[in-house]
Amino acid sequence: MAALPSGNRAMFWRIIRRLLGANRGRLFVMLLALGAGAAVTAALLNLQVDAKRRLTTEFRALGANVIVAPRATSDTAARGETLPESDYQLVPSIPINMGGKAASLFVLAEAKSFGSARSIPAVVVGTREEGDAANRIRFSWQLSASVSHTESNCWIGRNVASQLRVNTGERVFLKAAEREETCHIWAIVDSGEAEDNQIEVNLESAQRLAGLPGRISLIQVSVPGTPKTVQRYIDDLQKQIPAADVHGIRQFTEGEAKIYNRISGLLTATIGIVLLLTALCVMAAMTNVAMERKMDVGLMKAIGGSIRRVLRLFLAEAALLGLAGGMIGAAAGIFLSIGLGKAVFGVAARPRLIVYPVAVALTVTVAIISAYPLRRLAGIRPASVFRGEA
Amino acid sequence: MFLRLVADSFGRRPRHKLLTGAALALGMGVATAALSVSLDVGDRLAKEFRGLGANLLVTPQADSLPLEIGGVDYRPVNAGAYLPEADLPKLKTIFWRNNVIAFSPVLEVRVASWTPQYSPASATFVKPATNGDSVLIGTWSNHSVSLPDGRGFLTGLEQTSPWWRVEGSWFQDGAGECIVGKAFAERNGVIVGSPLYLATSSSEGRSLKVTGIFTSGGSEDKAVVTSLSIVQQYVGKPGQYRKLYVSALTKPEDDFGRRNPKTMTPAEFERWSCSPYVSSIAYSMEQVLPGADVRVVRRVAEGEGQILTRVRMLLWLVTGAALLAAALAVGASSAASVIERRTEIGLMKALGAGSGTVGFLLAAEQLLLAFVGGGAGYALGIILARLLGERIFGAAPQPSLIVFLVIIALGTGVTLLGSAIPLRRASRYEPAPILRGE
Repeated sequence: MAALPSGNRAMFWRIIRRLLGANRGRLFVMLLALGAGAAVTAALLNLQVDAKRRLTTEFRALGANVIVAPRATSDTAARGETLPESDYQLVPSIPINMGGKAASLFVLAEAKSFGSARSIPAVVVGTREEGDAANRIRFSWQLSASVSHTESNCWIGRNVASQLRVNTGERVFLKAAEREETCHIWAIVDSGEAEDNQIEVNLESAQRLAGLPGRISLIQVSVPGTPKTVQRYIDDLQKQIPAADVHGIRQFTEGEAKIYNRISGLLTATIGIVLLLTALCVMAAMTNVAMERKMDVGLMKAIGGSIRRVLRLFLAEAALLGLAGGMIGAAAGIFLSIGLGKAVFGVAARPRLIVYPVAVALTVTVAIISAYPLRRLAGIRPASVFRGEA
Repeated sequence: MFLRLVADSFGRRPRHKLLTGAALALGMGVATAALSVSLDVGDRLAKEFRGLGANLLVTPQADSLPLEIGGVDYRPVNAGAYLPEADLPKLKTIFWRNNVIAFSPVLEVRVASWTPQYSPASATFVKPATNGDSVLIGTWSNHSVSLPDGRGFLTGLEQTSPWWRVEGSWFQDGAGECIVGKAFAERNGVIVGSPLYLATSSSEGRSLKVTGIFTSGGSEDKAVVTSLSIVQQYVGKPGQYRKLYVSALTKPEDDFGRRNPKTMTPAEFERWSCSPYVSSIAYSMEQVLPGADVRVVRRVAEGEGQILTRVRMLLWLVTGAALLAAALAVGASSAASVIERRTEIGLMKALGAGSGTVGFLLAAEQLLLAFVGGGAGYALGIILARLLGERIFGAAPQPSLIVFLVIIALGTGVTLLGSAIPLRRASRYEPAPILRGE
């Protein structure tokens, strides 16, 4: 086109302007079809990347999926096996809101409520937690909660609470060998699992109680990410802490992997099909519109336009329309996906800038391809068009 | 005459009609596929989530506090309460019996274990020093429960803990066989096929044949698993168990599902117990298991609920987007097909047809297209949904009448709406300028 004299170029654009402006209804229909296609494309592309990432975070609702435990030694007394607390520092921190890590020490102790002589044996768990490791949704399990005493809070399981006949706000005395600790019941927990039968205190109290300063029984880690990421994390961590046994909790790693693969496959397939068929629909609509350009083609040929130039005109028109529809539609689509992300995951989807040019380029391509049937008009004889025969 | 006009319009410009129809069919095809998959996905995913194992745990109400650390219960053997195994078939008689997909009772006992060693000196097998304490877990493996209605129900640990991986084979129910955890096998040098002697402090030891080595990724890896009846003999509690894992298909709990049934009105209670919330299934299980405390495993149940709700919403959104895109494209295409027929409209009006007649004629044409296109699209969409469903879940969604009706209604609505705007403008046309080509 650069070879054209400037007068020709001005004429080219003038014709394009006229072509676009001639019929507003038609322009609107084409823009609508292209824009809608672009909006859906942009929204789904943006959402797809974001949704998969979010899903892996959602799985953290299931709690820890990796465990660092002492290696099983030949003497089997499970009680005696502990890890040094320094191993906990070796576990890399997980970004906040994405998971977490927790170190626990288990102690068998006698528990007694204030003002009662009866004591019962119970499992005391000392925990130090970072992020949401053990159980992210634990707060929804609390039956009741009381004021926090910063130093000596404890959670107690509902079965322990009913056996000790204690409630929140009261104190519990713990005794193991000749060592004693006191804690304030901050909340009563109903998890349906082991936590119901345990008393959870902070790690230091449990270590004092067990007489095992600086020791922990196990580390639980809640690792976000795809099944592959989690496996890589396990392998890396095992290299970091060769003395301990690092393994995934199969119940969750395996279940998560299966479900994740299903959902992400579903998402990819659905989005792929929607995109493909959106393109086809837009194309069908556009082709229909393009076909009515017969008259114009006939006229241009009649006054001496070469096929190539005429075709170039219409392709340029389609490309322009695609660009306009794509730019408006894709922008709308990205905003749409931000809203959708917020509706589904409670967090706005982060707009990805790469999605915008991709969506616009796709729209322009679809628009040009849809205008292509005009090529068939190249063989048209102007006279028959005007006579209304073709 | 009317029919002839319509037929003529189709016959004269088959390409145009085909294009519009194809756009319609494609659009409705996507819509059908997306709708069918979305309708189906909740059930399929709920089944998938059962891969996470039991979401209900049954324990004796009068139990003493379990002192469990790392899978080992440190209570004295005689402490705590038990539940009767004979009650278990009743689980398949509750209102939600079809939602209860698997259950396995568990009884544990601490045992001393050893493998016999051949002593060359005396040329006999002798008992070496014991390997110390380990846990023997008794449960079901492919156990057939005979239900009150005479049918059988096959269940066991394979169903409630599907993530266990066994090298070799599972133990046969009551055949004197066992499987050992990987950590146990490594520590004690047990291999598949070798005998394993197990004894408790109170009972005489007996030998079990090791048929497999399993990994569970949990504390069970240090234990031995065998059939429930054998452990009942060890403990001296025939027909009793201590823990029951139940895997049930549930509906994610919403605010209503989380309410305490005791504070509900009778009507609310009716609605609550007729929804498969995990808590209402727990409630109906408690009715048939006297003395049992049915607890919801929150970690599994709530995690599942949260993820399912999100995924379902996501899919509905994608479906919505698909419907929207399809509707817009179809609308645009039918608008285009009306616009291009201005000349024809002008001619009809010049010959004395009223706006109503013209509109009616065009609407009839569009409707015909919508039915044909929508029907073809539905067929296309069902095939698509089948492909999708089979690839992803290994099972095709059932074609549903609702989807068909929705698709036809949507196709008709969108087509009419798409042509309505240009039709309205067309009805205001003056025939003369159009015929002159202006």
